[in-house]
Amino acid sequence: MNNLTILVVDDDPVIRRLLEQRLAKEKYKVLLAEDGYVGNETLASNHVDVVLTDLMMPGDVGGIEVLEFAKELERNIEVILITAHSSIDTAVEAMKKGASDYLEKPINFTELFLRLEKISTMRGLVRNAQDLRQAMDVTESTAAETIQNLEITAASLQSHIDSIESIANNHELDFAERVAQILKNIQSIR
Amino acid sequence: MLKIQPAELKVIAQYIHDISGIYLDQSKSYLFETRLSSIAEEHGCNSYQELYQKARKDAGKRIERQIIDAISTNETLFFRDNGPFELLKHKLLPEIIDLRTPSSPRLKTNIKIWSAASSTGQELYSVAMVIKDLIGNQMDQFNFKLLGTDISDSAIQQASYGKYNKFEIERGLPRQTLQKHFTLFGDSWKVKDELRAMVNFRKLNLMLPFGGLGKFDIIFCRNVAIYFTLADRKKLFNKLADSLADDGFLIIGSTESLTGICPRFVPKRHLRAIFYQKKT
Repeated sequence: MNNLTILVVDDDPVIRRLLEQRLAKEKYKVLLAEDGYVGNETLASNHVDVVLTDLMMPGDVGGIEVLEFAKELERNIEVILITAHSSIDTAVEAMKKGASDYLEKPINFTELFLRLEKISTMRGLVRNAQDLRQAMDVTESTAAETIQNLEITAASLQSHIDSIESIANNHELDFAERVAQILKNIQSIR
Repeated sequence: MLKIQPAELKVIAQYIHDISGIYLDQSKSYLFETRLSSIAEEHGCNSYQELYQKARKDAGKRIERQIIDAISTNETLFFRDNGPFELLKHKLLPEIIDLRTPSSPRLKTNIKIWSAASSTGQELYSVAMVIKDLIGNQMDQFNFKLLGTDISDSAIQQASYGKYNKFEIERGLPRQTLQKHFTLFGDSWKVKDELRAMVNFRKLNLMLPFGGLGKFDIIFCRNVAIYFTLADRKKLFNKLADSLADDGFLIIGSTESLTGICPRFVPKRHLRAIFYQKKT
């Protein structure tokens, strides 16, 4: 079972069905949208890991707008654009806007699955790093509290030692008076 | 991955210490291998000994820089631990501003802050953001000098450029702060110029003399001394005491301690954070 949820946005019903079948066969969870509007609506109301969108679609919401909407919604969504050879320049522009990749038509499925696998591995690693970091944060904050308390305690003990030393060295006081003051100082530590 | 031989460990560990001050545990050979093997391969070396000799002979010090980049840990994030930045905002900055504001209103208030191991810049930019948010539109009455130093060239480069990818941004930066101080740059974010203009980054090996940096009002030296030996830590904090104004503040990492390391500093607690001042 692949854990990624993939949203396919394409106005061509044949491509939609083809992608749906092939992705489902690889055990990806698939959502479909027939244009950019529906694509954005689906994004807003579902958890999506990867958006696979056609670059050119009828209406005002094309692949670029889907990309921008997805990135605005959740920076972690990966967007792969599907493009005709003639619009590769636009696809490269889209990469600058945060698309993770583009695929040329006709879709090479081996290539597509490789990219999805990469995304999946990457997500696993990120998740793993987040878990480790969280564990580290907990350890660190517990340790910080202990260390800070010790640091303050050590400093306060040091200042007591300093004043005891100066009492001991104070020859203006007689021996009994020094002992009395030292004892008083020690008692104040407890 | 190229294996490190037991006989090489001591030489390489000593060399790394000499060039960076970083002390690597010789019983953990994987630390050396994971970080250095690709550099050895790149320079066609069949052993770490060979890499060491090549690095020593390399007049342009390119290999040395590569090794330092690979060895130094750039684990950092915006507002790391949060406590020190709350401390800065609510106590240290207001106090230092009070102390430094000249009696003549025509004169600016000079304040110098140093992030001594600035890595890729997140700490110093976090300081800059706290300052901007605190001072708002009265910035023209101040002359803030914010310096970040690090031993790694590539870290300094990224810090100066001020560009961060989404993973670096996601850690510690609230959305509101992000939108206020950064602009979207492709899939990354770039620190706004007005913030970048406040800071300065330059390369510095903390083990060497600081050379003309002057005295600072606030020094951040967090989570770097942990990579040094006890003797080197003592030297470092002693030098930091020399570089700190008599009424200045030092902030160290939340799990670090100066007990037994530098008696010239006394710890003070404010809310949930600790800062240090020089003993009077």
